[in-house]
Amino acid sequence: MRVLVVEDDIDLNRQLVSAMIDAGYAVDTALDGEDGFHLGDTEPYDLAILDIGLPKMDGISVLEGWRRAGRNMPVILLTARDRWSDKVSGMDAGADDYVAKPFHMEELLARVRAQVRRAAGHARSEIECGPVRLDTRSARVTCDGQVVKLTSHEYRLLSYLMHHNGRIVSRTELVEHLYDQDFDRDSNTIEVFIGRLRKKLPTDLIETVRGLGYRLGDGADEA
Amino acid sequence: MLIVLPAAGIIIYSLIRSHIMDGFEDKLRTYAWVVQAESIGDTSQPEKPANIGEPLFGVTHSGWYWQVRPVAGTEGARLVSDSLATATLPSPSEHNVVPDADGLFWLNTTGPLGQPLRVVEGRGRLGDENTGPLYSFIVAGPLDWPESRISSFALTIAIALTLAGLGLIAATFLQVRFGLAPLSRVEQGLAEIRSGTSEKLEADLPSEIEPLQAELNALIESNQQIIDRARTQVGNLAHALKTPLAVITNEAEERSTPFAHKVAEQAEIMGSQVSLYLDRARMAAQTNTIGRVTEVEPVVDALQRALERIYRDKSLNIDVDCEAHARFLGERQDLEEMLGNLLDNASKWCKRRVRVAIRASADPKRTGRRRVQIVVEDDGPGLAAEQRDVIFERGVRLDETKPGSGLGLSIVRDMVELYQGTWSLSQSSLGGLRVDVNLPAPLT
Repeated sequence: MRVLVVEDDIDLNRQLVSAMIDAGYAVDTALDGEDGFHLGDTEPYDLAILDIGLPKMDGISVLEGWRRAGRNMPVILLTARDRWSDKVSGMDAGADDYVAKPFHMEELLARVRAQVRRAAGHARSEIECGPVRLDTRSARVTCDGQVVKLTSHEYRLLSYLMHHNGRIVSRTELVEHLYDQDFDRDSNTIEVFIGRLRKKLPTDLIETVRGLGYRLGDGADEA
Repeated sequence: MLIVLPAAGIIIYSLIRSHIMDGFEDKLRTYAWVVQAESIGDTSQPEKPANIGEPLFGVTHSGWYWQVRPVAGTEGARLVSDSLATATLPSPSEHNVVPDADGLFWLNTTGPLGQPLRVVEGRGRLGDENTGPLYSFIVAGPLDWPESRISSFALTIAIALTLAGLGLIAATFLQVRFGLAPLSRVEQGLAEIRSGTSEKLEADLPSEIEPLQAELNALIESNQQIIDRARTQVGNLAHALKTPLAVITNEAEERSTPFAHKVAEQAEIMGSQVSLYLDRARMAAQTNTIGRVTEVEPVVDALQRALERIYRDKSLNIDVDCEAHARFLGERQDLEEMLGNLLDNASKWCKRRVRVAIRASADPKRTGRRRVQIVVEDDGPGLAAEQRDVIFERGVRLDETKPGSGLGLSIVRDMVELYQGTWSLSQSSLGGLRVDVNLPAPLT
């Protein structure tokens, strides 16, 4: 999953980015509204964390701009202004959730997970595909009840496929949603990790659809 | 008026009195000279004056008399007017009277019929200027001649001034009535501002009061600006402090040394202190505004939209029943905070349903005042009686697993009390908690 963090305070920005990376997300970041808007407008993100009080362009305007441009990724607003009138105008501008500062990082992470899941259509915090179960809260993968140890990159890849199980996910989409801007798109890292996952999980779980991409499980599984 | 008119009356009266008296004395003086001139011939005997020009000298006891006789101790003939007949006029010079600037002697006395008379006497020698006998030439006139003129004038003046006085009183009355009417419009305008029906003084006032009206409206506007500025500053302070606090909190939470724990704990305390005093500052600023009025329906609709979106996972349904023109006598932001926190609390705890009902009603305790009633219910677990007591305490969270700072409902309580409203908790027919809040509403 790829997340955009737009926050102008450098310390808080750094904390958010590292917390997101630790939680297994690929993270891009911007320090002002214009940059943030541009990134959100051009790159595909699974979620954006958006501060309201930004220089150059305020958060609400960025959000409104994204929605007008048809960018519908879930957005969590982050701000010191926690009056209801601010929350209402944030929600009206198209936000999906609202977290007031100061906040507990755990709470923010829980909300991020919930938004990502919901956007992929999963109502509960656990996603199943055949014998494999992914608990998004604890980031644990089990197969028939046995814990499967994955590296963070493997986890990220599996998590994305699980969230979008039943659907074909192209290689390009995987690259765009699993890695931040700086990644070298031409390398074959994806294939390498798909191979590794196949070794750790039931072999027929990840299906290669020639020319189109990968698909998890078969269509009968939970969508 | 009670002083000026009588004073004017007295002054006019005395002026006229002296004018008429002077005229009277002038007349007497003239007659005295004429009598003296006519009486003095070439001889040492007086000649009878003939053309004095006052027919009343010929009417018996008319009050107009002349008398020519030698001064006491001198020999000579005596002549009197026909009107005097057998009576005698006293001689002022023999009564220790000091002569005036013209050498005449004046005296008030009583005539033969008892009428008051004014007597004037001139003295002169008949025949030879230096050796002729010294004679007294006396003319008297009735004092009731000038007095009657003075009295009739006094009466006229008294009537005229009384009428003028009454007229002025009436005019003053009307002036006060109509002149002060604009001030009663001002009073009404101020009452409208205080009750929230209008935001400035809009009465149509005369040009003398226009500066007052302009100043008052400017004052109201500057008051609003001060409050808005203060609120902006407060908001800026919130932003400025909360981000550093968030940074410190997150940094501390990542470590597990005693120092980090202490820092995290203190940062939490700072955070809630900042919230507490910022909330109070915002509230204090808001109660000083003059009569702000807020439509309730748009506020509750906006909150419903926002909360149904935030709690989408729950398939939350907020059922709103709001009277069409229900209005709150207070700031929009305050209503948003109260309703927002109440609805958020209900949304958080409910299974799926939240119900909101808003009604306007008359105030049972104070006639002429109105209230707006807000009822928020949910179908969640509700509260046991002992939990109801603590729920409004600041920082108390009944369920640590649910997100929130525990500040929401205490803000509601503080604000309701600030607006002198009432609140109560009970069991809802939906199964969960029911919160009733009663707030002031404007008159219209």
